[in-house]
Amino acid sequence: MTLQQQIRSNRLRTAFVVLAFAVLIVVFAAASAVFVGRPGAIGLLAFGLAYGLFAWWNAGRMIGGLTHAAPLQKSDDPELYRLIENVSIAAGLPATPPIYLVDDQAPNAFAAGSRPSTIYVGVTSGLRRLMPARELEAVLAHEISHIRNKDVRLMTLAAVLVGVIAMISDFAFRMAFFGGRGSRDRNPVQLIAAVVALILAPVAAMMLQMALSRRREFLADASAAAILNDPEAMALALRRLQLDTSEIAYADRATAHLFIESPTRAVKGPGAFLSGLFQTHPPLEDRIAALEEAGGFRLEPLPGAA
Amino acid sequence: MTWALIIGGIVVVLLLAVVYLFNRVVRLRNEVDTGWSNIDVQLKRRNDLIPNLVEVVKGYAAHERGVFEEVTAARASMAQAATPAQAGAADAQLGQALGRLFAVAEAYPDLKASQNFLQLQSDLTDTEDKIAAARRYYNASVLAYNNAIQTFPTLLFAGLFGFGAREFFAADEGERAPVAVSFPTQA
Repeated sequence: MTLQQQIRSNRLRTAFVVLAFAVLIVVFAAASAVFVGRPGAIGLLAFGLAYGLFAWWNAGRMIGGLTHAAPLQKSDDPELYRLIENVSIAAGLPATPPIYLVDDQAPNAFAAGSRPSTIYVGVTSGLRRLMPARELEAVLAHEISHIRNKDVRLMTLAAVLVGVIAMISDFAFRMAFFGGRGSRDRNPVQLIAAVVALILAPVAAMMLQMALSRRREFLADASAAAILNDPEAMALALRRLQLDTSEIAYADRATAHLFIESPTRAVKGPGAFLSGLFQTHPPLEDRIAALEEAGGFRLEPLPGAA
Repeated sequence: MTWALIIGGIVVVLLLAVVYLFNRVVRLRNEVDTGWSNIDVQLKRRNDLIPNLVEVVKGYAAHERGVFEEVTAARASMAQAATPAQAGAADAQLGQALGRLFAVAEAYPDLKASQNFLQLQSDLTDTEDKIAAARRYYNASVLAYNNAIQTFPTLLFAGLFGFGAREFFAADEGERAPVAVSFPTQA
């Protein structure tokens, strides 16, 4: 798959996610008309579509809030900015995206934003501390590749639109099974909530699955290696992520797919109901192996690995 | 009548194919132009840094006239370079001259401790890195563009529309290496 093909496929997937969200909101509003009447349903529809537009406009900031990322000034860390400027130039991006810092010891990085002017690269303080410049550059190149491939727009949109559907479904699921004082006195509201959860959850999962391409991480790794002309740096960076076992604090299922490495081994909290349905990232070993094959080198085997 | 339709259809399909290929080549050529202007921005930035650097070094080592002249000459030939290949050659020459300038600076501890000098040196290293990055992108886009116009079927009409092959921006990495040596930019 070439870069152009990936960009085309991402455009298609983006259109699909937006369409699916719109259809889902319309169906949901129509179904709820039975309970809240026609004016209520129209209100719900208007709210849903307004939310969609709002999300499209503010997606970057919303994800910044979810992940607790704060803008980093160039004067705060000139060296990091130099690296990202060089990578952006080498990738041929028209402008260097700003860096946001997530105060977290777990090394990880992501890119978010729905429009070119709002796109940024998020880096955890753990990554900044742990990685030598060569590997840090590779991680930044990986994120810049996601931006260039138009992965970021799709992933961001999936995070905020699918996120709200997953939220409704989680909420309904809890109401259905944990809402009452005991499982014996279930009322009709709980039953309806259960049905809503059971219908919405797979739909949300399907949308996310549609949006996610397992190829995207391999492709971003390969693009990063090509941008830097250094596949080994990318592989070393992934190996370092693999060796680190700490987990980032503010990542849930809605944002998990944005990160360079799956931010949680097992997603906890409200998203747990769905997390088993699919993996957001291909295993790091596979990604390292792909780089080793492309670059014609081998990293030393992991200590303790048989 | 049927024959006319078939021939007409073939002509339309061929025209559409040419339009598609033409647009693709134009897109690739625009990428080459963008890549070149990215390099140009960094080359200009470095050209602006050099006089300041020479002034600072002169303040401590005024008698090292040879090396200053060499840098000034290289900078002038850089400014005159009209094509990517010429610019690449001038870039290599300038890199060598700057390497010698920094080697001279090694002998003056006061100069090496000067805040002004350190700042200029770090800016210069940064610019060198950015030139290298911009060169990677430019050369990759030149390769894509040249491949497109020199292969079938674009080959057939590339000459007709005036699509000519572009030059690579080449500079010998090894010759330029001394510039960055022994002065880590990070604390």
